[in-house]
Amino acid sequence: MRCLRALLMRLGGLFGKDRRDAELAAEIESHLQLQIDDNLRAGMDPAEARRQATLRFDGVEAVKESYRDRRGLPWLETAWQDLRYAVRVLAKDRGFTAVAVMTLALGIGANTAIFGLIDAVMLKALPVERPGELLQVKMGEDGTVFTNPIWEQVRDRQDVFSGLFAYGGDRFNLSPGGEARYVQGAWVAGGFFETLGVQPALGRPLTKADDRRGCPATVVLSYDFWQSEYAGSPSALGRTVSLEGQPFQIVGVAARGFSGMAVGRPMHVYVRLCSEAIVHGKESWLDGRSIWWLTVVGRPKAGVSPQQATARLKVLAPEIFRATKPQNWRPEDIEGYTKRTFETGAAAGGISDLRGQYSNALLALMGVVGAVLLIACANVANLILARSSIRQREIAIRLALGSGRGRLIRQLLTESLLLSLTGAALGVLLAQWGSQLLVRLLSTSRSAVTLDLHVDGRILAFTAAIAIGTALLFGLAPAWLATRVLPNAAMKSGGRGTIDGHSRFGFGKALVIVQVALSLALVVCAGLMLGTFRKLANMDPGFRQEQVLIADVDLRNARYPEPQRLAVFAQVLERLRALPGVHSASSSDITPISGMAWNGEIVVEGYQAKKRGDSIAYFNQVSDRFFETMGTPILAGRDFSDRDGPAAPKVAIINETLARKFFGQASPLGRSFVMERGPNPEPPVEVIGIVRDAKYGTLREETKPTAYVTERQAIEPARMSHNFELRSATSASDLIPGVRTAIAEVNPNVIIQLKTLSLQVEESLTRERLLAVLSGLFGGLALLLAMIGLYGVMSYNVTRRQNEIGIRMALGAGQTTVRTMVLGDVAILVALGLATGIGLSLAGGRLVERFLFGMKASDPAALASAVALFAAVAALAGYLPARRASRVDPMVALREE
Amino acid sequence: MGKKDVWQGTLALMVLKTLQTMGALHGYSIARRIEQISGDLLSVNYGTLYPALLKLEQEGYISSEWGLSDNNRKAKYYALTRAGRKHLQSETQAWDETTAIIARFFAEGKAGA
Repeated sequence: MRCLRALLMRLGGLFGKDRRDAELAAEIESHLQLQIDDNLRAGMDPAEARRQATLRFDGVEAVKESYRDRRGLPWLETAWQDLRYAVRVLAKDRGFTAVAVMTLALGIGANTAIFGLIDAVMLKALPVERPGELLQVKMGEDGTVFTNPIWEQVRDRQDVFSGLFAYGGDRFNLSPGGEARYVQGAWVAGGFFETLGVQPALGRPLTKADDRRGCPATVVLSYDFWQSEYAGSPSALGRTVSLEGQPFQIVGVAARGFSGMAVGRPMHVYVRLCSEAIVHGKESWLDGRSIWWLTVVGRPKAGVSPQQATARLKVLAPEIFRATKPQNWRPEDIEGYTKRTFETGAAAGGISDLRGQYSNALLALMGVVGAVLLIACANVANLILARSSIRQREIAIRLALGSGRGRLIRQLLTESLLLSLTGAALGVLLAQWGSQLLVRLLSTSRSAVTLDLHVDGRILAFTAAIAIGTALLFGLAPAWLATRVLPNAAMKSGGRGTIDGHSRFGFGKALVIVQVALSLALVVCAGLMLGTFRKLANMDPGFRQEQVLIADVDLRNARYPEPQRLAVFAQVLERLRALPGVHSASSSDITPISGMAWNGEIVVEGYQAKKRGDSIAYFNQVSDRFFETMGTPILAGRDFSDRDGPAAPKVAIINETLARKFFGQASPLGRSFVMERGPNPEPPVEVIGIVRDAKYGTLREETKPTAYVTERQAIEPARMSHNFELRSATSASDLIPGVRTAIAEVNPNVIIQLKTLSLQVEESLTRERLLAVLSGLFGGLALLLAMIGLYGVMSYNVTRRQNEIGIRMALGAGQTTVRTMVLGDVAILVALGLATGIGLSLAGGRLVERFLFGMKASDPAALASAVALFAAVAALAGYLPARRASRVDPMVALREE
Repeated sequence: MGKKDVWQGTLALMVLKTLQTMGALHGYSIARRIEQISGDLLSVNYGTLYPALLKLEQEGYISSEWGLSDNNRKAKYYALTRAGRKHLQSETQAWDETTAIIARFFAEGKAGA
């Protein structure tokens, strides 16, 4: 307390210096006068009285000095002095300052941008009340979503949460017909807003109290959606918004800044789960015992620890799972089901698919930008080293005049700090711009990513911390070396720094080696990422993605009863096939690389599964000419045809992998398999054709054993929406206007969504593209910085050795000899750096292995091409100084001494 | 034998005690008073005295004000504050305890000799 008071007073003492000095002088003067008075009284004559008083005072200036030290904060005052001096020094040497600041801005900016992304995706807590308390209810690692019956059981039986809610993310079509316009939203149940403590900005929230099945269609909007769609007008309350063709009444607007539970995927409409049947009708998911889609989150009661809550849920688990046994599962699966139990996990940061998808990639990128920053540090350290040889005289003079070495190091470090803080300030601006770019790289047409990336205290603190760390890293060693001179030696030697040149130069060379090694590792990494992306983008997926348009056709608003749907879809297909420019058209349940999947076990006579899951096959239900449209050749047998109607024997076309795995060497044509679907026996399906292998869900996957069945023999009632594929004779987008009109002619209320197959495939590679672009960018930056470092050191070296080179040339060395000598130095440096770098890449390769496809981290081609690239660029960076060295005029060089 | 300088750390205590006994004083008479009390065995170094006064003021134990001396000279007068009084009290107690302990040690040594 007293210390703090004293500190504040001393801070105050920094100001009003003149007034305070005058007061001190007056006090000392009065002191002297009082003593003189005493001395006079003791009988001295006036001159002697004054002399004695002054003698006794023992140095007025010294007293003033120690008084001033106590009055203010001397270290702060010297820091201020240092800072002003640093500004002057740096302003004088603009070239150096600009290069150093830009280098640091790039290094620090890259770190800030990636950290901002990590912060937004992985670290930030949700903008809700006490987010640290929230717990997500799960079933172990994989089971994070529940069926509605399970949620209802948990809700009714639990007694450990003061608030509990479930939500299922969904997208809602705002358009009543024609081209679809989607908004992200969620079905919410229980005390969604109460538990999170999110207050309405307008109207009222949806509460637990009115969560009853069959509740009216009401909706709460997000603040942003209210702003963009209703211009923030309060009259929006009470109006209706069309969601999936149904009118929902707007009852409230959520608090500003709240956009749901998922980071990066804002939700804009919140509708009650109890009104779900209004949209899905007979296909309501509320009683679906094998429809897994709800996330459950709760806030434990006061005094209940997460462990206690989990323990209680585990006790309830057997009853809950027994009460919600799915129908139509096989007995052994049901047994496994009833043995499940509950776990909980922290939900403070929300629940996000982005996190699972990108956490590792972001951490890898953080490592990459960390290395870039190290290289930048080495570069600036080298620049400072080169400069300190010019400043040697200045430093020597200051040492000779009695400044301490510590004081000088502090001065030099202040300069470094000023450089890195300026760089950091610029870096934050770069990062602002860069992270917007990053988010754009993450977004796809189907799911836009929106992240809160504004620069907050945390990001600034991170940036400041790395700026200071950076300044120490690049400033300390040069400052140490620069002040290690003997004043007389330095002053004697004239302007040219020859003192202690060897060891100092050794340090600069070591820095270049480190730079080359680190940047080689980054270039190798970039090569691997680019290679992976190229392999994936250029691979043959088993279908030809070019010139194919996908139309998602949704009959919801056209209100056809279920039995009519098949006929309508058939009519649509017929229309599409008749369109000019359409080479072929087909329809299917699932389109390739859409992330959708339908799988199940099959039974083939003569095939024995070795373990569980070994008899899983993937399915798709398609029309005839599907393979022709996709460009997947039929290798044997035939396509579906009119013969394969609902009454005819069931038929299927299988891919090569399925044929090989289940039927072995013999031809599967004419043989059959059974699709296991619940406890009842299923009719056998006859194989009528074999198609080439094609990727099903992702490009990275191993080809799945896949069976295609025909739509005309559909086993399940037709869904409301269906996919159509059209192969264009020209470009896919040429078909778009025709498709729109054709479908509107069938029924104007049909909702369609169009996308090219190429885009769908491309967007499945978002993460790979992000890694490839960024590691390429940072690899290039690292290479550039390393080359600037190499060039800097070599040209400094040439300048320093001008005399020596002059003498050599005077003694008969030719230009080529000199050039070879300098290039030889470069070669040694680069070779050492590359050797270290290769070791580094091999060691660090394991860290990036998981992101690779079709190549190993130790891929020799990637290593070799990176080394070759390096050698070429290094030759260029070394050639310029070498040429300058060879053009030294011996007479000029010698005369300069 | 020359005069002893005041030991570091004890000067502040002496200043506070002097101000308690004498009331408000200026720097010169604080120094004179300390030297007198010590029977002129101690000599106060002004290079330490004035910073010490400043420190005590920054800590809030004393306050200062310009006034006139007996012989009509302008001087800065220092006075004890309430916080200073309390601080002096606790410091005096601590000092007494310390000296008592030290004294006991020396008594022990003598008894053994």
